[in-house]
Amino acid sequence: MSGLFTIFKKELIDTLRDRRTIIAMVVVPLLIFPLIIGVTTKISISQSQKAQAKTLRVALIGNADARFKERLAARADIHLIANVPEDSARSFIQTDRLDAAFVFMEDFAQQLQNLRAGEIKFYFKSTDDENITKRRLQEIVEKFEEQLLSERFRQLRLDESAIDAVQLTEIDIASVKEKLGKTIGGFLPYIFVIFCFLGSMYPAIDLAAGEKERGTIETLLTAPVSGLEILLGKFGVVVLTGIGSALISIAGLYVGIRQAGEIPPEILDVILGILEVKSILMLLSLLLPLTIFFAGLLLTLSIFAKTFKEAQSIITPVNIIVILPVAIGLIPGITLNTTTAMIPILNVSLATKEIIAGTIETGLLIEVYVSLIILAGLSLLVSSKLFLREDVIFRG
Amino acid sequence: MIEVQNLRKQFKLTRQQKKEIGKTAGDGTLEAVAGISFMCQPGRVFSLLGPNGAGKTTALRLIATMLKPTAGTILVAGFDTVKQPLEVRRRIGFLTGTTGLYDRLTPNELVRYYANLHNVEKSAFQKRREELFSRLELHSFANRRISKLSTGMKQKVSIVRTIIHDPEVVIFDEPTAGLDVISARSIIELIREFRAKGKTVIFSTHIMGEVSLLSDDLAIIHKGKLCYNGSYSAFVAGMKTKSLEDEFIRFVEEA
Repeated sequence: MSGLFTIFKKELIDTLRDRRTIIAMVVVPLLIFPLIIGVTTKISISQSQKAQAKTLRVALIGNADARFKERLAARADIHLIANVPEDSARSFIQTDRLDAAFVFMEDFAQQLQNLRAGEIKFYFKSTDDENITKRRLQEIVEKFEEQLLSERFRQLRLDESAIDAVQLTEIDIASVKEKLGKTIGGFLPYIFVIFCFLGSMYPAIDLAAGEKERGTIETLLTAPVSGLEILLGKFGVVVLTGIGSALISIAGLYVGIRQAGEIPPEILDVILGILEVKSILMLLSLLLPLTIFFAGLLLTLSIFAKTFKEAQSIITPVNIIVILPVAIGLIPGITLNTTTAMIPILNVSLATKEIIAGTIETGLLIEVYVSLIILAGLSLLVSSKLFLREDVIFRG
Repeated sequence: MIEVQNLRKQFKLTRQQKKEIGKTAGDGTLEAVAGISFMCQPGRVFSLLGPNGAGKTTALRLIATMLKPTAGTILVAGFDTVKQPLEVRRRIGFLTGTTGLYDRLTPNELVRYYANLHNVEKSAFQKRREELFSRLELHSFANRRISKLSTGMKQKVSIVRTIIHDPEVVIFDEPTAGLDVISARSIIELIREFRAKGKTVIFSTHIMGEVSLLSDDLAIIHKGKLCYNGSYSAFVAGMKTKSLEDEFIRFVEEA
């Protein structure tokens, strides 16, 4: 056992001095979320503020209702453009000479008089400014409609509440934590699984294929330690870096959320509650067998390669295979059940959602653990059989 | 002492290797070592001489327990390499020409790592490291990353790594490959020192000069078989050509 510890200690020091590992394990997971959250929030807020503050160029075409025209003219943030022919409205908006156009049908006034709906065509471009233009103008149209309705009710001497036959009071029993858990919970496995895999990848390549390429494996094989001790020493480091990377990515996410500043406090409290110690410990318990599986898989693939580069080209496609079950877990309707609980990686993805939402069923969680532990055990077994086999070590 | 009896090692050829070899690939195996026997005595230097691909490295890897023989036995210091590999490893030091070192460690860390693997006691380790670092003038580089060292320096670190546990048997696989004359000479001197201390030394080479400088016993290996196995002095006495090199070529061609 002292040989195992000696190898583990040395491999850990060696790995932590590897720039590639530090970048993949620490720098990327730590910085990526503050960067993504910070930059996207800032850009999105700035774009939204710009769109809100922008003076809209609006054309009224046809026999526009005077009350509607008055509403628009009263707004400082709307500039009315005159003399736009109806057949040009589309092209004017397309070429950014207009932001929107309202075309009043010829019989608009007549229809109102007959207590029917008058038709207005509303031209806008939904791809601009996150649809803020549409929302701003729609608000004015809604107010205009309210005004017309009030006038109608007065004319007909009706109480406005007379048209409400049913009053629907919605009571959503899902807590904010549950709702966020089901959405954020789908995103978290991406972080966990991908960073867990990426964090393990470089150490696994370096400690197996790298060792072969440098020729250091030969000297290690002549030391009085068993093959299993060598494998487990390396295994320990790969598992540690994988879990370390996943934890660092959570820290990065925490920092990113904290820095965002624009998230409403009640939602922020729930999000930070999700990242509490209990949830993290439960997720870690899923991560440990998953990382052992990754470590076994990566070390086995890596030791088959003759060089670091060859190992990279073998392992990179595996990355996609790992992402696939996580992506499937995001499809609506795919939930944790007795079947999905047995499918590796997908079960982690789905169980994470349930853990975060606080709705995990103990039976299913146990099934997920059993599935992962069996997988981790198999991975360890296969790698111990293949790793250090002389036809593998001295391949070619 | 190393005792090698009827040693054979067959490798399964890969699909690529079979393609490269063509029809001569036969049953899909390659016999790298084909039934060799020899003995290396303590206090003597045994040279394993042969052209590239002759089976020298395979033979040394078999002795060092890195590979398992297909047939035959190897006893190192009385221990069987297949049945008692850990006992064998405790007693050997193995040095290759390609300096297999960890670039991100310092010489100090690397040497301590191997000493720990060999369970060398702390006080014994410190004494031995001090002695070897002084002998090979490594002190001023002891805490520098190995990646920053010259090839010669790296080879010196390799030597310390190989003998930090004071092994009974030292195995050198083309130890001077790629080294400058001065570094190569220091290795030759070291091998002589080992002999003087009564260690069993086996080294492989294809450089005739090294053979003449060091050998007490000599084996010439070609296509996995021994063409000569005996004392160096007997080899020289029986020479039918003018130089060692010509004699070596004659043996190989006649094999």
